[in-house]
Amino acid sequence: MKEKNKRNTLILSITCGIIAIILVASIFVQVRTIDVSQELDIEGLREDELRTEIASFKAQYEETMAQYNDNQAKIQEYKTAMSENAETTEILDQELQQAKTLLGLTDVKGSGVVVTLTDTEEALYTYTADDLLLLINELKYAGAEAISINDNRVINLTDIAMISENLIVMNGGSTRISSPYVVKAIGDQTYLMSTLNMKNSGYIDQMEANGMKIEVEQKNNIEIKAYTGELSSNYMKEVE
Amino acid sequence: MMVIAIIVGCVLGILIGFISPTIPYTVSQYLAIGIVAALDSVFGGIASNIKKNFDIKVFISGFFVNAILAILLTYLGEQLNVDIYLAAIIVFVGRMFNNLGIIRRYYLDVISEKKPFKKKDKKVEN
Repeated sequence: MKEKNKRNTLILSITCGIIAIILVASIFVQVRTIDVSQELDIEGLREDELRTEIASFKAQYEETMAQYNDNQAKIQEYKTAMSENAETTEILDQELQQAKTLLGLTDVKGSGVVVTLTDTEEALYTYTADDLLLLINELKYAGAEAISINDNRVINLTDIAMISENLIVMNGGSTRISSPYVVKAIGDQTYLMSTLNMKNSGYIDQMEANGMKIEVEQKNNIEIKAYTGELSSNYMKEVE
Repeated sequence: MMVIAIIVGCVLGILIGFISPTIPYTVSQYLAIGIVAALDSVFGGIASNIKKNFDIKVFISGFFVNAILAILLTYLGEQLNVDIYLAAIIVFVGRMFNNLGIIRRYYLDVISEKKPFKKKDKKVEN
């Protein structure tokens, strides 16, 4: 009886021990699994949580998408504006270049005439500033687009003044010019020639009547240098 | 002797639990239900021991069959998209509280040196 009791207790103990082992081991495995799963984040989430997450992600995605579209539209707008700006800039550049050319701030070339005035002993007098001014005026009248005297560019504000005999200056007194005066003009050759060659009242006839030496030749590839001085205004202001 | 066996079992269980690899997350919820069922059986066993009607066969069969049944029910619920495991948990935990109440009252009686608690109309499962 005692023996049997002892055996029963032993069996009971072993059974309880095994049960304890199984229970505790499975609890620990479970706890560790949960611990690891939490680290895996999304993979360890329950279905409901996943659903919530997906819903929130979807909402976020839609929001982001809307923003993206907005930004895209803005970028498109900016691009359009930019290309328009580029066009404007190009036009402005062209206009600026044109203005510069018209002002005489660029080297130009083209067909025209070259008038050479030389002082001689036989002449009644030496060439004066007035003669040069007259010639330039005539050339302008004949449609010259660019004029230079001894490679000094004649611009719209160019002055030619005679300080004393044999001392002719131009462009604000900064440049001295002397005989021979090579006057280059780019423009319509026919007009230029016919204007200079007008009978009696023409410039050539006038000069030759005074015994002055004047040569005129047509050239197809005349190069006229840019105006090198400064262009500034101190007093005039644009009227708005 | 039994206490020693249980303590040794717990220690061994901890060791095995730490050595063994973790299970996949999807399986872990079945294991959880199994653990709850097993715990319920253990408390039931203790309570029945107190009531002096402990049967090792009932205890062991309850321990394993309850756990397996709970796992199977959970699996079935998963397939049917019904949270059957909630019902299992409610039943098991409810019974666990029940048995814990019996144990608590028994030891309260022991501490206050009264006769061991006996309740006839309360059915104890293990």
